[in-house]
Amino acid sequence: MKHNSFRQITPEMTDPSFIEEIKKMPGGDKILDCIQCGVCAGSCHARFAMDYSPMQVLKMAHLGLKDKVLSSSTIWICASCYTCASRCPRGLNIPAIMSGFKNMAMKNNVRAPIELKPKFHKAFTEIVSKYGRMHEPELKMKITNKANFNELKDNVTLAMRMFRKGKLKLQPSKLNSSTHFSDIVKNVLKEEAKK
Amino acid sequence: MKEPKIGVYICHCGGNISDTVEVAKVKEAIAKCKGVKVCETYEYMCSKPGQDMIERDIKEHKLDRVVVASCSPRMHLDTFRGAGKRAGLNPYLLEMANIREQCSWVHDNKEVATNKATALIRGLAERVKHLEPLEAQSTPVNRDVAVIGGGIAGILASIELADKGYKVYLIERNPSIGGRMAQLSKTFPTLDCSACILTPKMVYVSQHPNIEIITMAEPIAVNGSPGNYELTVRIRPRYVDTANCKSCDKCAKVCPVKKFSRHEEGLTQEKCIYLPFKQAVPNAYVIDRDLCLWFNKGVCRVCEKFCPSKAIAFDQKEETRQLNVGAVIACTGYQQLTPELSKEIFDGWDVFSQYSWGLHPDVVTNLQFERLMLQGMHRPSNGKPPKKVAFVLCVGSRMDKGIQYCCKIGCMNSIKHALLLLKAFPEAEPWIFYTDIRAHGKGYEEFYSNARDHNVKFIRGRVAEVVPNGDNLIVRAEDTVLGSQIEETFDMVVLSPALLPNFGTGQLSKMLGVDLGPDNFFLERHHKLRPVDSKVEGIYLAGCALGPKDIRETTVETMATASKVATFLGRGEVKLSPEKAYIIPENCNNCGECIKYCPMKAIESTAEGVKVNSISCTGCGICVPKCPVEAIDLKHSTDAQLMAQIQGTIEEDGDRPRILAFLEKTTAYGSADLAGQTRVQYTPKVKIIAVPSTGRVGLKHVLYAFANGADGIIFIEGDDSPFREEGIREHVNSMKKELSKFGVESLRVVSMTTTLPQYDKVVNLFQTFDERVSKMGRIAPEKRQKITEALAGGKQK
Amino acid sequence: MKYAYFPGCSIDASAKEYAMAANAINKLLDVELIEIPDWNCCGSIDAVHAYNPLLSVTLSTRNLALAENMKMDVVTLCSACFFTLSRASNMLRENADIKSKVERAINDAGLKYAGEVKVRHYMDVLANDVGYEKIRQKVTVPLKGLKVAPYYGCLIVRPPGIQKFDDPEHPTSMDKVIQALGAEAVLYPDKTSCCGASLVITDEEVMMEMTKHPLLSAKNAKADCIVTPCPMCHFNLDAKQKDIEDRFDVEIGISVLYITQLIGLAFGLSPKELGLHRNIVSPDKILEKLQVESKHGQNVVGKH
Repeated sequence: MKHNSFRQITPEMTDPSFIEEIKKMPGGDKILDCIQCGVCAGSCHARFAMDYSPMQVLKMAHLGLKDKVLSSSTIWICASCYTCASRCPRGLNIPAIMSGFKNMAMKNNVRAPIELKPKFHKAFTEIVSKYGRMHEPELKMKITNKANFNELKDNVTLAMRMFRKGKLKLQPSKLNSSTHFSDIVKNVLKEEAKK
Repeated sequence: MKEPKIGVYICHCGGNISDTVEVAKVKEAIAKCKGVKVCETYEYMCSKPGQDMIERDIKEHKLDRVVVASCSPRMHLDTFRGAGKRAGLNPYLLEMANIREQCSWVHDNKEVATNKATALIRGLAERVKHLEPLEAQSTPVNRDVAVIGGGIAGILASIELADKGYKVYLIERNPSIGGRMAQLSKTFPTLDCSACILTPKMVYVSQHPNIEIITMAEPIAVNGSPGNYELTVRIRPRYVDTANCKSCDKCAKVCPVKKFSRHEEGLTQEKCIYLPFKQAVPNAYVIDRDLCLWFNKGVCRVCEKFCPSKAIAFDQKEETRQLNVGAVIACTGYQQLTPELSKEIFDGWDVFSQYSWGLHPDVVTNLQFERLMLQGMHRPSNGKPPKKVAFVLCVGSRMDKGIQYCCKIGCMNSIKHALLLLKAFPEAEPWIFYTDIRAHGKGYEEFYSNARDHNVKFIRGRVAEVVPNGDNLIVRAEDTVLGSQIEETFDMVVLSPALLPNFGTGQLSKMLGVDLGPDNFFLERHHKLRPVDSKVEGIYLAGCALGPKDIRETTVETMATASKVATFLGRGEVKLSPEKAYIIPENCNNCGECIKYCPMKAIESTAEGVKVNSISCTGCGICVPKCPVEAIDLKHSTDAQLMAQIQGTIEEDGDRPRILAFLEKTTAYGSADLAGQTRVQYTPKVKIIAVPSTGRVGLKHVLYAFANGADGIIFIEGDDSPFREEGIREHVNSMKKELSKFGVESLRVVSMTTTLPQYDKVVNLFQTFDERVSKMGRIAPEKRQKITEALAGGKQK
Repeated sequence: MKYAYFPGCSIDASAKEYAMAANAINKLLDVELIEIPDWNCCGSIDAVHAYNPLLSVTLSTRNLALAENMKMDVVTLCSACFFTLSRASNMLRENADIKSKVERAINDAGLKYAGEVKVRHYMDVLANDVGYEKIRQKVTVPLKGLKVAPYYGCLIVRPPGIQKFDDPEHPTSMDKVIQALGAEAVLYPDKTSCCGASLVITDEEVMMEMTKHPLLSAKNAKADCIVTPCPMCHFNLDAKQKDIEDRFDVEIGISVLYITQLIGLAFGLSPKELGLHRNIVSPDKILEKLQVESKHGQNVVGKH
């Protein structure tokens, strides 16, 4: 086989409808305004932990490289600090776009480089939907890999540290059922199902 | 009326028209029109063979009317009138149908575009039957010129014109001419000394017998007409007599008040009585009245005591002068973006704040860097030479709104600065952080290569932040080429702020009656062919007032501007358009209604009856519908001509709703052309008729349009017209009242005012009005019949 | 001055002391925070939002609807909640599709939201409604000689479209409060860098690397303590400080206070009512410096 020294972006790698999909997300309508100046990448506090910079992810999106975008660690590591968005000369809301990519990845069951993350989002949402407020002990339990001794140990250490200072809420808060919180959650899921 | 012989020429425009409009079909349809003797199509009507065709046919077929269906008349009306003239045809007997900017470029359906083109041409064919030959009047012009702005553009323009024999008033707001170039050290790419190029010109200007320099001066009013302008200028007092001042500096030495030097971009201080800079012209001091103790507290006047030449003059007063000139050049230059302007323009966001501007003395602008070069390059914080300097480009430029354009000189400036820094300190390390390096001009790419050869570091990535760290500055950016963040420590950071039109440009544009573009710089008449004309005859533009540019481009442009002025004034007379209002004496009963409505005050009541002053009259036609007895009309836009064009345009096959749009012929029409140039698509149901002003169109024309098939009427006025906003709204509202008497819903008429760049507003109106009228459906034939009867019975005017 | 108070889940659990101190100082500042009855989770910055954006906005909107009945501005103590509620408020205004979906979800349960509620952060109330002068007047124990590093974090200063009460790049509201209390606001380069709060559960390593920066640079600037207006930032700076020391083999040992706790100290309130016993990194050094202990004769701060 002839060695091809030029990397190709082949039709199989690109999804021509990706840009249209992105334009439908909140903040995604401006995706093509990006001129790849790099101020987002330069400003990003979490860049060091990303495989691609935010700028590179936007560029890949321009080229329709849906798989590369949705399987990057970038979209998961974004901490929503909004430093990039405040400095972007073209006014792109990059954290919103990253959030949209996360959503797309989870909907398309794209394997995240950090497997814990989709698990976390799902668990968090479930707990809040159930109680109306977050309950950290339950969250930790849901996502901890119980087979990993170190993880369990760290959790216990932190829990003790918090407990000693009265910062550990053992019982979840419960909302007043008269305010129909659970109905609202059900309604939202119904709206989603309409699509 | 003698049967006219009309020649119609349909241009393919090299495909621009014929790719969409089926010109053969149009030719077939138009050839059938009564009075059309010749109907031809051709590839490029504006080319020599095209124009020759017109000339030939006029002579051979004795044509006495011509319609050229091609691009916008704003492009080539003069071209074709010229062809007609060569064959002996009066220029006012030739019309153009706009089937490109307002047809083929904005509709992509062939059938629809072809039908519309046919309708538009037919409208013009009917109109030309009623045209009369007209002669332009000549009026002598004043051969003096006012140049507003004493920077390099103003200086060069003044020299060009003065050398040609024109008298020039060079009006400058600051106490000295010279502009920005006086602040620069060296220029790119040649590394010429800026002052060495500029100052000889400044001296030349000051000694030229044909140039009068007026400093401390700003225009406050412009009246008159092209070739005969009256420019009122307000001259602020400098409190120093320029004739006596010897620039000895004794006054400044004793003055107790200090201030930051504007020339030094705030880096150093000078006294409240100061010489703008050493090579200032006029070379005289000036007192800053806002800080002077005499004006604020009634004490001091020490400068006066120490002046050996009796040059201090505290009793100087503000003056106004009226300058009578034939032409005006606006070359008022630029200003740099500042944090305050940034907050205004970017909705509260200060683009400088992420670079810690103002929080560390070693964060400077590129202009400040120029001054530091001239003072002997050093760090403002400690006076020591800088070792590592970061150049941050595009501060506030290339944003998605507010300032979308590139500053054009930032890249080259920073490359120049890097090389000059290395020349001064061979061990220094200049780093340039860029998004794109724009090295577009002559010698620029070579200059850029030279910088790379000298190991100037180029990092491709917009700087994210500059953070003070003790004495130094940390710069953080992503090197997008390497794909990694970098963090480097520098001892100086040089910012390239965006360039804006100089403050006061907006007011000046209103005063002069010229447009600003969407970037807020002055707008040229045509992007390619008339880049230094404004939309007003006799007013010309040059330099950075038109948009950021370097010195070479300014010079080239200024030469063009000077040439245009010389052509305009050269013959000593200017031809006035004959398109003026005129009284029909046998109908006039001297009621004076027209006088009330004329925005130019060009109609007066005299002993011999009501008369129109044809020099002051600007041909807007607002007076015509106001006359209760049809005793006033407008040449080249007579009632008969307008009615004929309405009828010809509205007639078409098919039962779709028909919309006529009357557009004021300069700004509103120009805006519709701009939509065509950008190829925005819109509904073909709207057909445009150009009118001098929408005020020229009265109730009888609107009724006539409805009677003949119109279902909706649009009025669009230019925002610089005296009839804009209130005027057009009242006019249209009074018509709506009358229309309701015929059962014509008031929603079938709409009006709007627009600026030239807001073509999207115009297109939006077309689209939404089309939706509205389509929903309402066509007007019932009975209603139309009633209107026709009423018009015939003379009940409505 | 009364406000509809949205506590948020952190205040409910790990950040109780922020609210304790706020309640203590509010009495002196004539501020009343009236808790929104039966509030739910703000909707999260991204934890719920990335998984189910409609649910996230609806959660926020339920809180806004409950507050609207109280006819007061909503005030949050938590920067993240402030952001989330503001974001929802904006989205309802700008996106008709989301608005109609959210409305249907809450209307069916008998709740209505007219879109009138203003969302503010407690710092905004301190800076603009109370004012620095009033804070200065209430100081009985000027914090002289105390070097305080104000850590703003992200969502109280960004994005510019959501908050406008302080400068996004160089905010000064906390600096001014610190100065009004008689202390010195320390200059250091990480006032607005991100602590990585949203990554604390799933990407602890990344978060620790991020939180390390303000901790180290505040220490280098010789700060006695760090103050913060956000419970999530506080957790990272305080509860995780030891882990960061261990992980990166650095010594930090800077106490982290909530802004309300600092104000409370200057107002002469006791460490106990300010919840200082709940801070994980011991505030003993500060209390000693201010001789608070001797004033109140209480040794309430436990050893870490």
